[in-house]
Amino acid sequence: MSKITRRKFLAGSAAGGAAMMLAPSKNALAAGSFEGFPDGMGVLVDLTRCVGCRTCEAACNTEQKLPEPAKPFDDYSVFDELHHGQKRRPTDKAYTVVNRYEPEGADEPLYRKIQCNHCNEPACLTSCFVNAYTKTPEGAVIYNAKVCVGCRNCMIACPFHIPGYTYNSVLNPVIKKCIFCYDTRLKEGKPPACVESCPQQVMTFGKRKDLMKIANDRIKKNPGQYVNHIYGEKEVGGTGWFYISNAPFEQAGFDIDLPKKPIIDNVKDFLAIVPMVLTIWPALFTGFHLLATKGKSHGHGDDHSAEQEDH
Amino acid sequence: MKKLATYGIKPHDAAMKADGKQWSLMEKLLLGLTLDQYIGQVIRNKFNWLLAFIFAIGIPVIIYRFIFSLGSVTHASYDYPWGLFLGFGLFCMVPLSASGFMLGTTVEIFGRHDFEPIERLALLNGLLGYFFAVVYLLVDLGQPWRLSYPMVYSFGPAAVLFLVGWHVATYLSVQVAEVSTAFFEWIGFQRGYDFIRKGTVGLTVSGIILSTLHQGALGALFLYAPGKVHPLWYSSAFQWLHFFTSSIPAGLSMVICVSTIVVYTMKWRCDERFINSLDRITISLAKGAAMGLSTYLIIKLIAVAHDNEWAYLATGWGQWWLLEIVGFVFIPLLILSYAIRNKLVGLCRVGAFMTVAGILLNRLNTALITFNWKLYQEIPHQWEIIISITIFAIYIATYRFILNRLPILYQFKSQSDK
Amino acid sequence: MVNVGKRLITGLGVLVLTSLFTVGCFAMDYPDEVEIDSLANLYEAVVFDHAMHVDATDSCADCHHHTTGTPSSSEYCAKCHDGAVEMDVVSCQDCHSGDPVSAENLHNPQPGYFYHNDKPNLKAAYHLNCVGCHQEVDGPTGCEDCHAKTEAGEKYYRSGEFAPEAAAHSSGH
Repeated sequence: MSKITRRKFLAGSAAGGAAMMLAPSKNALAAGSFEGFPDGMGVLVDLTRCVGCRTCEAACNTEQKLPEPAKPFDDYSVFDELHHGQKRRPTDKAYTVVNRYEPEGADEPLYRKIQCNHCNEPACLTSCFVNAYTKTPEGAVIYNAKVCVGCRNCMIACPFHIPGYTYNSVLNPVIKKCIFCYDTRLKEGKPPACVESCPQQVMTFGKRKDLMKIANDRIKKNPGQYVNHIYGEKEVGGTGWFYISNAPFEQAGFDIDLPKKPIIDNVKDFLAIVPMVLTIWPALFTGFHLLATKGKSHGHGDDHSAEQEDH
Repeated sequence: MKKLATYGIKPHDAAMKADGKQWSLMEKLLLGLTLDQYIGQVIRNKFNWLLAFIFAIGIPVIIYRFIFSLGSVTHASYDYPWGLFLGFGLFCMVPLSASGFMLGTTVEIFGRHDFEPIERLALLNGLLGYFFAVVYLLVDLGQPWRLSYPMVYSFGPAAVLFLVGWHVATYLSVQVAEVSTAFFEWIGFQRGYDFIRKGTVGLTVSGIILSTLHQGALGALFLYAPGKVHPLWYSSAFQWLHFFTSSIPAGLSMVICVSTIVVYTMKWRCDERFINSLDRITISLAKGAAMGLSTYLIIKLIAVAHDNEWAYLATGWGQWWLLEIVGFVFIPLLILSYAIRNKLVGLCRVGAFMTVAGILLNRLNTALITFNWKLYQEIPHQWEIIISITIFAIYIATYRFILNRLPILYQFKSQSDK
Repeated sequence: MVNVGKRLITGLGVLVLTSLFTVGCFAMDYPDEVEIDSLANLYEAVVFDHAMHVDATDSCADCHHHTTGTPSSSEYCAKCHDGAVEMDVVSCQDCHSGDPVSAENLHNPQPGYFYHNDKPNLKAAYHLNCVGCHQEVDGPTGCEDCHAKTEAGEKYYRSGEFAPEAAAHSSGH
């Protein structure tokens, strides 16, 4: 007969199960959705105004004390650069870049500034397993380098290809990305450096909800000047920075296939099964065990202990 | 070792020497051979030369990585933040190590003691696979010394990776406990052995829970990148099921593969029980793998239907997907089914190797090849490839070191001969 | 020609233009030249040839909204500003604030905010006005076509003597 008594058996499986309970019960918190802070700030970017002067890049470099660029900020040959066939993207050394696009049938090129869009429900934040990211009530998505382990899941998760990584740092590699000038400006209610520097006011800074009205007004009051879409109003659950344009967005390098829901919504189905597996599996499989082994020998474990006692 | 056997020298395989004395630890480590004999057989083995060659190149590169940063051995890509270290090391090693919980469940939960001869091999395969997945991870992390942060310092509970981290860490401990029975037996620590044996069912059940979740969670990690992974490899509803169900044939096939390699290259270490039951067990494992593969195949097709992605099949990516699904899921399934029906062990093994290749292809497709399909294809840096190969070589060396010594492929005579 | 537009116009992060157009209000009474110089920092002051622009344009309204006594051309503005009454203020800076996003403005919108909520700041009012027109009539649109960069500007843009050394021997990847 079995030497494993019922009590021991339950204790064993409970210990195993309980050890695991810790982690996933926290995962249950992932449910629920977040629409953004009501008074969060944002920036409306009007692509029709941008003339590609790159002053915002210079402003960002100065404000964020970034390393010296490879080329001067008034060198417009950067617009012709291609890396792996791709136009420039933000890196650990440049939190914002301006690219040039040539929309079909347009006389003038179109310029687009790229930086962190400060999502309402950021994918980087929700994918981070040490919670290094924070969406502040002011609307910025900021990052705490002190807890970052360097898994770079946020770079995988970001639908806009924004975060850069200081791969060349040996002892303290970290994520680097636009933080809305949170530390130096946003916290005090001031617009970020790029916005302030722009001679054309391509970017308008304000409360996100106010700016959304302005964006709609501009589209309405200037018939034929804009395509009827605000990129970032709904994309991935809404972004703090959003765009209006005179050319279709895909021709300005925007990914127009992004889901309208936050990225984390894709993951919620999976997160929902976690507590289920945790609670149902132990019962299910111990049940199987009892059924499968009823009336049979309990296997070598017991054979051994039986033998030991025979000595 | 074969050569030594012809001289009548037998390896250490019991708690007591033939004359009734205890083996010393040193003697155990040397497999019961003298130092000269041991070194002699190490040098005679050509495979050791290959390993030495790989280590000679690879280990300095690994050291280089830690002195001169990750950027010095990879392309430091912002678009491909995960390269081979995770694409291969984590995403491939973990499903191939699902064998531990599969066989643990079969033997301990379902009471199928006919699988016992291979249970320990499967558990060890699981443990080492996970352990080396973590080694790959440590090489890849920017700040590996902070690996414990998500456990103790700063929690990101909404993140799938948080779940993976916790579960792999916990499961690794469970597996250490499971395999420790073999170690306690070898070292001669009977009380430790008894203690662990009492908790076996608990450990096994927690193994099932953890495995279900983190095998699935590895798939769910890619749910964060809906626009980046090609739609044929992405399914917000089924991604975790794909990864979980495919880990079942992956783990079982891996055991078939490893046992095949072992029985051809380390026959001296396998005892009668193992060798005699291997054909029967291989076919039984193949049955499990075939069941898993067919489930996997069906869920893959359902996912395509669910998101109505049939149109993609006409594209180049679609051809590639068909190659993976037909060539490395459907054909192995046919081979396995035919082999099982006709009891062809050799063919089962062919099917198992193809299944393993199919899983590797699937994980690399998801993590690297179809990732960023709208952008460009990143080819890993040559040093990244060298490091990946080197860690795999260390994995093989460790695997063999343990198989040579612990009672995995053989039973300690003290107990079975009494 | 079209490419002139690429060269951009523009700008200075810190330069807030405050002077100018402090001109009286009688229809034909305007300055021939205006020096836009206050806080010229990254760029030298601009000497604006007002007389030339008067000759070159059909009407003051091309630049000055309705403030010079012409009817408003925008149907939205015309709803309120329906007369052709000359205003007391004509200069851009009388309405276009240098700092429209001050915390004060954000939290206490000024009267008329509902309609004037999308008013560009002063720097943008100039650049949008000038560059927009210059693009159409092929006027100068490069930054330094209108104002020369100062030393501070070169430092800011990392150009001229402050150009990165890397740029000299490697261009890009």
